[in-house]
This record gives sequence, C-alpha cells and structure tokens, in this order.
Amino acid sequence: MCLLCGEFVPQAHWTDRHVEDRARAKGADDGGYTRERRRDRAHRASLANEVLKHYGLRVRDWGGSKYVLSDGKGNSELVGDLGSLWPAATKLAGRTLDPLDPVLGERLRAALE
Amino acid sequence: MNKPVKKPVTVVTGFLGSGKTTLLSRVLLEPEGANTAVLVNEFGEIGLDHHLLRRSDEKTVLLGHGCVCCTTRDDLVEALLALLDEEDRGEIPPLDRVVVETTGLADPAPILYTIFSHPVLQHHYRVDLVVSTVDAINGALHLDHNPESIKQVAAADKVILTKTDVAERETAQNLIARLRTINPSAALFEAPLGEISAEELFRPVDATHRSAPGAGEGLDGGGHVARTHSTSFTFDGPADWAAFGIWLSMLLHARGESVLRVKGLLDVGGPGPVVLNGVQHVMHPPQHLDAWPDEDHRSRLVLIARGVSSGEILASLKAFRPLVGAGPLLLEADIPV
Repeated sequence: MCLLCGEFVPQAHWTDRHVEDRARAKGADDGGYTRERRRDRAHRASLANEVLKHYGLRVRDWGGSKYVLSDGKGNSELVGDLGSLWPAATKLAGRTLDPLDPVLGERLRAALE
Repeated sequence: MNKPVKKPVTVVTGFLGSGKTTLLSRVLLEPEGANTAVLVNEFGEIGLDHHLLRRSDEKTVLLGHGCVCCTTRDDLVEALLALLDEEDRGEIPPLDRVVVETTGLADPAPILYTIFSHPVLQHHYRVDLVVSTVDAINGALHLDHNPESIKQVAAADKVILTKTDVAERETAQNLIARLRTINPSAALFEAPLGEISAEELFRPVDATHRSAPGAGEGLDGGGHVARTHSTSFTFDGPADWAAFGIWLSMLLHARGESVLRVKGLLDVGGPGPVVLNGVQHVMHPPQHLDAWPDEDHRSRLVLIARGVSSGEILASLKAFRPLVGAGPLLLEADIPV
C-alpha cells in the first residue's frame, strides 16, 4: 500500500526489481537507496524520452513514485512503471509503440548516431 | 525477522497423452514426493494416488484489455490459498513443494502470471520450474499441428522426452534436435516408461544454464510450424539495464503474444549478470547475481518468437545500441521451427 496516495501496489515491475530488492536487503542505507532510486528513475525517464519523442510524447518523474506521460496537446497520463507506460503511450499516440518498427529504427539511428 | 521461505511450485505441462500423469504417479511414490501437493485438472484413468492430491478445474479470468497470457487462474488462487490454510491449521504436513499439472492444451503463462501477480501468493510461492513432457513417438506430430505444443516447449525449463523405450531411435533423435532448436535454453531428459527420479525431475535447472551446444543442428527444416523462430544473441559489451528494460518491456507490450520466451544472462557491467526469464508477457523477477557462474562473462540470451525473425530483433537492438550501450551479435541464425 502506498502511504502517500493510498493506492494498492501489488508488486514492483520487473524492471524496478533490482532497486527494490536492494532496499529490502539487510543493512540497506535509506539515504543511499533514495539517491540511487532517484538517479535510476531520472536515467530511465531520459532513456525512455529518446524513444517517446518520436511519437510526440514525453515522460518525467513525478515525486519519485510515478511518472507523468504527456503529449504536446495537453493530454497526460500518470503511470507507475514501464509495465503501464507502454499501454498509456499507445493510448496517447493512438498506435502501438513497437521497437521492431523499422521506421522507429531509422529515426533512432538518425537521432542518436 | 527472517524472510519466510517461498514454496517452490513446479508446473508440469505437456500435450495430451504425452505422459504427464504417468511421470507424476511414479515420482510421487518416492519418499521425496511425500510432502508434495499436486493440483490436477482431472482425476484421470491412471489413478494418481496421493494424499495431497487436489482437483482444480481451470477457471481462467480474463482481465480487462488483457491478452491470454495475462489472465488470472482463479481456481489456482483458491487451491493454493487453501493449501496455505490447511498447512497453517496443521491439517497437512508442511509442504515441500506444489506441483501444478496442466491440461494438455493449457498455456503455462497464466499459471506463472497468477503466482507472480497475486498479492498473497507472490509472497508464499515461487515458480521454480516449468517442466514439459513430450512424447517421443507423436511429439513431432504435435509440434507440427498444435501451436500450444510449441508454446509448452518454449515455456519449459526442463523438457522430458517420454516413451523413448518404444520410439524408434532415429525418430527420437530428430525430435531432440528439433526441441533443442525450439528452446535451446531448456535442459533435456529422457524418461523411458516415465522413469525419472523425483530428485532429477524437481532439481531446479541452474538459473544460469546456458544453451545446449550445437542447438539447431540436424533439422530437416521443412513442413513445420515455420513461423516460430529462436534467436540466440550476445552483446559486444555490458548493456545498460534500464535501457534494455525499456527495449524488452516495449517489445513485450507490442509483441507479447508473439514472444513465447525470453531467457538468459545479461551482462550489465556489474560483478555478476542479470538472470532473465520470461514466458510471453510474464517475466520472472530478474535476479541480479553477485558473481558470474563460470569464466564466460558474455551476455547470452535466447528469444523464441512466433512471426518475428532474428533479423528484425537484431535490427531493432542495433537501432537501440546508443541507448543500451552495446550492440547485439547473433549467436545462432534464424532457425524456423
């Protein structure tokens, strides 16, 4: 249960698991965990944005507990993790975001290389 | 407070008549099987006689907008919770293990999804093994005509080849080659007359089990469900875990029903690799190991997909290279199975 929003969080998404596991490990340092988690979330949002921008979308961390996904038209969605990011992005973009799409591949190559 | 130990759940799957029940009835007679609860779909002709046998009719609840693999098996939730209750009340001895036997046509993914996602079950149980039985005589026929059969082999950590005592050696050898092609990451055992020890059946496959050498050899190539491909690849350096997670979660969202299996070790630049294991949309919680299991410190991943070629996967990973920080290298070519 999230104490801030009262939402029931059944489990960490598999992509978040390593940070959560370290936090639960014996002797974990709270400050260190918070810093690492924040860094991890910022890094993930920045990487995801490299993909999302090709669909006119952007994601940012929201208080360390959620991400806000928005398009350029004022629509936004609150998502908890990468598991819920892609369905929300599909909804906002109006099409499935497919990493195997050759057009996306070309755009990533042109933008990143 | 000590963390309670999660009970291992072994999923036994296999096509109709492939010898699941025979195998279980033998294994459960052994002393190791004494405190093993068995959930079966139906009490078949070959009476499984065991004091911890429970019947559990497959009741699948499709979640809103859900695909077939992301469904909750309500029957399984009830049965597994009931076992915990009975154990707590002392009505049954402390359980060492639970075996879930599926129907021949069942897709194992919903079983994994149910256990990983249920708020109570995920803390009390862990799926340690998916075992798939394949009949040495009719196995090839099942693979040719039934996509469920391919899904079951793709989802398996251990494939048990049954009826090898009555099958022609050549037929069995061809089938073994084909099974290795479908799922190079699975450990393969032969069980003539359903004879395999409980120890051998339930021994977890080392999470770091690497693909069988020579996978893909000896294929006859034609006439099979040729849209399923297994792709083995590595990276030319450590991969960024967050970026790889973005790529894989995006792939599973877009093509989850086509991706039958993801398995392997990923070098993320840490002291040990990340163990990845997923069946369709359903990913086991990845383990970040403290050390490599052997001298080979390269990533090694197997992706089994239907209707997706190795070329598409490689091209996509190459496009993501600047994010992932490493480029993919194909280990085994696109092999239709």
